[in-house]
Amino acid sequence: MAQVPVQTIHRDPQLFYWILFPITIVMVLTGILRHYATVLMASAPKKLDQKTMREQRGLVHGINVRGNFHTLSKRSFNARRDALITAYESGAYLKDPENQGQPPPNPLSDPGSMEGMMGMMKNQMAMIIPNTLIMSWINAFFSGYVIMKLPFPLTIKFKSMLQAGVATKDMDPRWMSSISWYFLCIFGLQSVFNFILGNDNAANQMAQQMGQMGPQTAQMFGPGVDPNKQFLAEAENLAVIDHYSVLDNVEDRLLKSIRV
Amino acid sequence: MTFISKAITAVGGILLAHACYSAQEHSALQSFRATSGAALTSAPTTAVSLPLDIVLETIVSTFIILLGLVLVTRPLRPIQWREWAGKIEREGEEGFKDSNGEVNKDYIGNPFAIFESRPNFVDIRKQRKEFAQWVKKEGGQKAQ
Amino acid sequence: MAPSVFRSPVQLPPAEALELSKQAPAILRSSANTASTSAIGAIFSAPEKPEEWITYENLILSSLRTGDDKAANQCLARLVARFGENNERVMALRGLIKEAEAQNDGELEKILKEYDQILSENDTNIPIAKRRVALLRSMGRLSDAASTLVQLLDFSPTDAEAWSELSDLYLAQGLYPQAIYAEEEVLVLAPNAWNVHARLGELQYMAATASGADGGSYQKHLAEALKRFSRSIELCDDYLRGYYGLKLVTGTILKDSGKPAKLTDEGDFVLPDTKTIERLNELATAKLAEIVRHSTAQDRGWRGYSAAEVAAARELLSEDSSSGIVR
Repeated sequence: MAQVPVQTIHRDPQLFYWILFPITIVMVLTGILRHYATVLMASAPKKLDQKTMREQRGLVHGINVRGNFHTLSKRSFNARRDALITAYESGAYLKDPENQGQPPPNPLSDPGSMEGMMGMMKNQMAMIIPNTLIMSWINAFFSGYVIMKLPFPLTIKFKSMLQAGVATKDMDPRWMSSISWYFLCIFGLQSVFNFILGNDNAANQMAQQMGQMGPQTAQMFGPGVDPNKQFLAEAENLAVIDHYSVLDNVEDRLLKSIRV
Repeated sequence: MTFISKAITAVGGILLAHACYSAQEHSALQSFRATSGAALTSAPTTAVSLPLDIVLETIVSTFIILLGLVLVTRPLRPIQWREWAGKIEREGEEGFKDSNGEVNKDYIGNPFAIFESRPNFVDIRKQRKEFAQWVKKEGGQKAQ
Repeated sequence: MAPSVFRSPVQLPPAEALELSKQAPAILRSSANTASTSAIGAIFSAPEKPEEWITYENLILSSLRTGDDKAANQCLARLVARFGENNERVMALRGLIKEAEAQNDGELEKILKEYDQILSENDTNIPIAKRRVALLRSMGRLSDAASTLVQLLDFSPTDAEAWSELSDLYLAQGLYPQAIYAEEEVLVLAPNAWNVHARLGELQYMAATASGADGGSYQKHLAEALKRFSRSIELCDDYLRGYYGLKLVTGTILKDSGKPAKLTDEGDFVLPDTKTIERLNELATAKLAEIVRHSTAQDRGWRGYSAAEVAAARELLSEDSSSGIVR
């Protein structure tokens, strides 16, 4: 039973010092730079004018009443419901009531929403530009190097990931090329950044992308959403509530649950 | 209590270390036998599993360590709303101290007390007056 | 034990407020004035902690209360150095210090003008709007304060603190239905707040016992008060305030159970039958006695109650036993 001979490649130990370390250090430094760039570029949250605030909070108020109707007695809930439905349907909470019924303005022509988009663009740029630069830097200087051997065996599937830039068919997938080290750094430096910059840093782009894919709560009042439609929908939601109160039979529950 | 639990944990640790050492010795012996026996018999050597006593020792020692660790843990925090709220009302800060006697940093008392203290609407002039009266009263009591 | 500097000191008893404000010089000395506004400085200084700023805010409140205006101004200076003059909360704190230092009504009028000026420039400055309401109330202009607050709540109806203040304002003017309505709004925003439930129970009880309540609304208010207190106990084990209220309400109902129960409209709460009320009364009495006993003995795990509340409960219990109404 012949064993597969262990591949040995004689590497210059200098590769370790002149490629592995520089790439790592550059990645860490870019992360820190990106963090501070984002902090500096962050625009202060836009101030809402009174009418916008009224529109948004009016809607949230309705949602709260809908969610917590059970704390109210039937009479006070009905009073609130009727008042809210009338106000919503007449458009009393709208920022500009005369626009009721018209299609929402194009988000691109609205200067307010443009600003939000600019903010997103800025963040995207802060991620894309350094990445492109470093990628091309590594490609220009370090492409084609095998710099290290992982201390554990891997299947052939990892070959394309770990040996990017080194097109050798029979090489053991444990060998790693410089560009793969770069990718590994992108994915694996989050804890390092947490250590250096604290927990809510903006250094790691992976975390940012995750955040963007996250729940779209901010979209509730985002550009291009017709508030009138939201109000009408909320009025309908309120209208169909079948009211019960948490106070019904509360004394019986209390007597049952508490023994002296 | 802490001494007992520490002793139990230590005993468990020693047992676990012993089990590990036995397992290591066992596998070393097995591989030696395999290399020396392979020359004599061409039959493939079957992998011999660990003897039962080592396995038992490992499992038992793990449970002993667990027992030792569980004994030192502080009582669990309440997870029911009413229990948690009752703890705040009944015990106040005392119920939220850690082992060093410091009040837990996240403890803010009744989180809804803000609806009754309303710091943004505080009538500072009234408070000042009341405080001045209190100082006078205290001073008067001390003078007597 | 020294009260924590991280919690709002508004409702502390005077002795603790004094103790807290005595900490102010030490805290001001121990944390050097490091707030740096330059970007380079921010990179090299230690990361700032939000607690620090909350500490300053609370120190301002307690030192103003004890008359230590110097410390309050120092704290404000730190906050200004960090957040700038135009931060809304900083502006409100500055106004607060001015209010505290004002000597006569003329100065207060001037501060009120300043608030109006700020609000005319930026009508969404909620901290200043709240200060304005508080100042109006402090000057005794209750109805002005209420109408201003209603305007604030019109564009910001999700502000539970403001609703709660509105309820208190109406209560001060004796307008019970309005006060109850506003307190219900707080509950809509914080459905599990046991103290708000108890507060609403107290409001209902006050509305019921106030003169002028006719039979129907009297019963309705009492029924809801009973249920509110029950709910507050359901949300919080051994809630002294809830049991106190429950005992008070059930005692009142039992005392005049001779009155004919009027039929109420659909949608209102109806009183449970007399047997349930009696059992509730017994439960509340027993629980109150237990709490008072443990709390007086300073048993471990029963030291969180405020002394004044326990004393009130003891008084209620002794009143009960001396009058001899045992049902």
